[in-house]
Amino acid sequence: MDRVMGIILAYSDRAAMRELTKVRTLASLPVAGKYRIIDFLLSGFVNSGIYDISVITNNNYHSLMDHLESGKNWDLMRKTGGLRLLTPLSRADYFTGEYKGTLDALNRNLYSIKKSDAEYIILSGSSIVCNLDYGEVMEEHIKSKADLTALYTRSLNGGKTVPRGVGVLKTNKDGRIYDLYINEDDVKLQDVNWCLEIFIMKKSLLETLVADAVSVGMTDFYMDVVKRLAATLNMKGIEVTEQFFEISDVKGYMRANMNFLNEEYRRKAFKRPVFTKIKDSVPTLYREGCYVSNSLISDGCKIEGTVINSILSRGVRVEQGAFVTDSIIMQNTDIKQGANVRYVISDKNVIIREGREVTGHEKYTVLIEKSTIV
Amino acid sequence: MNKISKKETIAMLLAGGQGNRLGKLTKTIAKPAVAFGGKYRIIDFPLSNCINSGIDTIGVLTQYQPLELNAYIGSGQPWDLDRLYGGVTILPPYVKGSLGEWYKGTANAIYQNMHFISLYEPTYVVILSGDHIYKANYQLMIEYHKEKKADCTIAVLDVPLQDASRFGIMNVKDDLRIYEFEEKPKEPKSTLASMGVYVFTWEKLKEYLEKDEKDKDSHNDFGKNIIPKMIVSKERVYAYPYKGYWKDVGTVKALWEANMDILDKDKGIDIDDYRWKIYSRNPVLPPQYIGEGAEIKNSFITEGCTVEGFVDHSILFPGVIVKKGARVVNSILMPRSRVEEEAVVEYSIIMEDLTVPKGIKVGEVPEIITDDEGITVYSEEEVNNG
Repeated sequence: MDRVMGIILAYSDRAAMRELTKVRTLASLPVAGKYRIIDFLLSGFVNSGIYDISVITNNNYHSLMDHLESGKNWDLMRKTGGLRLLTPLSRADYFTGEYKGTLDALNRNLYSIKKSDAEYIILSGSSIVCNLDYGEVMEEHIKSKADLTALYTRSLNGGKTVPRGVGVLKTNKDGRIYDLYINEDDVKLQDVNWCLEIFIMKKSLLETLVADAVSVGMTDFYMDVVKRLAATLNMKGIEVTEQFFEISDVKGYMRANMNFLNEEYRRKAFKRPVFTKIKDSVPTLYREGCYVSNSLISDGCKIEGTVINSILSRGVRVEQGAFVTDSIIMQNTDIKQGANVRYVISDKNVIIREGREVTGHEKYTVLIEKSTIV
Repeated sequence: MNKISKKETIAMLLAGGQGNRLGKLTKTIAKPAVAFGGKYRIIDFPLSNCINSGIDTIGVLTQYQPLELNAYIGSGQPWDLDRLYGGVTILPPYVKGSLGEWYKGTANAIYQNMHFISLYEPTYVVILSGDHIYKANYQLMIEYHKEKKADCTIAVLDVPLQDASRFGIMNVKDDLRIYEFEEKPKEPKSTLASMGVYVFTWEKLKEYLEKDEKDKDSHNDFGKNIIPKMIVSKERVYAYPYKGYWKDVGTVKALWEANMDILDKDKGIDIDDYRWKIYSRNPVLPPQYIGEGAEIKNSFITEGCTVEGFVDHSILFPGVIVKKGARVVNSILMPRSRVEEEAVVEYSIIMEDLTVPKGIKVGEVPEIITDDEGITVYSEEEVNNG
């Protein structure tokens, strides 16, 4: 796999994450307790022996830089290859501001992509939490002699609704892609190939495709490359038979997290290691009188109250008599005595004061913005 | 070597001890590598103390079963000790000329590595041992050493009189200058026990190490030879009174107690102190999962654990599994051990990767815990034999 380079687009134009992405990019969104979405993506590459990875950022990438540092925690601090964080390059005469689309993003980072001597590229988005083994699909891609391979799943979001914006691939019985369309509404479609936003191709092809499309003012990889060239290029779809959860709205975020409470899913998701930033947190302390059930708890927490069906990041404190159910509680949240928290996503460094009640509903999650005092 | 590498203070950490009183726990690893406190190893404490005290150059002297310890320390990166100048250096015994030589004693170990110390041209050398659990700011001790214009400063702990005969006891004058050192005295004159933490002025130490090496009758040991000789020769040897938690975890009982102590904030060491973090090499494991029907009281549980049973006043290391109906009380479960359904574990230390089979009961509530009995250490053979 030393001929393969991974590219991660750390943001998504279609993500509607309310306050969650106000201060961060999609890839650095906390997930499954102590992780960020990008941890799963990077671990997938590293576990597959791919150590040459570029992460393309667009805006709000401060938290991502803070998280990734030198790449050491993912074993990506390398002399050859390793992790590169690409921030938007602006040139007064040419490029300015944020990217206009995925093609613009790739084009403006082409100078860096060209430098790598990798032969193949695996291009990935950030809205799907997966720790894929790329070994097999890479082999299949080479064997099929396809120009481009797109990965898809038949099982997205556990068969529940899929939000607008997710691509659907149309393939014939040989697996050749003949069309692509975008899911235009929040729907529950059966029997379609949901695009995983992961594409494999030769690096030289990507460079040509990007340069060509950009030269005539095109911006979107889906529409202007995959759909437009479906008839000319030999594009294949490969199904990955795992369950996938995509995150582009708060409902999907809740679902993707809560799914980690399922034993079977958790076992599969962590079958191969998932690396993350090390914080040197102490083990979690469970005090007399605490009650914890069906919950995923990170290190550094102190629990004296009740936690049910919830996911806690590092350094969360749940004081005596506090009650937390069906919620996602991010790093360093303090839930004071007697507070009652249900169906809530609490962002980092939140304090929920004594006796306060914050209650959402199964159908609507209340979101508490970073560093709020309730 | 470049002048930039000059350091005012460097630390030498004695980590070669076999720790045979820990029995099975140190059968294949050196004592400093023994797991402690849920996700740490004993050596994390002196290493973290060093970096938190601003000492970034440390020689770690290894001898007994060094493989795991060497791998654990690695580049020193988890303790922020991977440095261009200084950092952590493992110093095993080595072949000199045609002869190989083991470290004969603590002082001899330092003697054999004098060239390493000289590289950094230090003014002070801190000598530490890798088998104590405590938090200490060595910088304060060095300030004290300077203030007293001392040649050697020894950290001391005020111990209860009845325990004093188990320690090396310092007899001091009013200004804390040591006039006599007694190793495990039957009738102690003072209650100031040596913690095995020494600050030396390097020039002085060098002189005494060289002298000691020529003395054929010497055990080449700091406590037995170097320090008594310095006191007799009227060198300025001072006691530095340390206040706080300190524990020598040389026995199974002490190790178990020190683990239990961290569960009690008033009694033990506060490991959850963001201003004085204890660093360690973290395993790559998912967060812990607490299942339905689990009941947990006063316990430390860490990453990779799955708990579905009853856990009371215990410490679970990474990757431990406690199944439904299992009971774990007053015990330490080492990494990746498993307690199956309906099994009971009391007052025990369960070794790494060991499974306590379904329905089996191990350990019992002791009447009294002594160095030899009370806490049982279980390794593979025993649990399977019932």
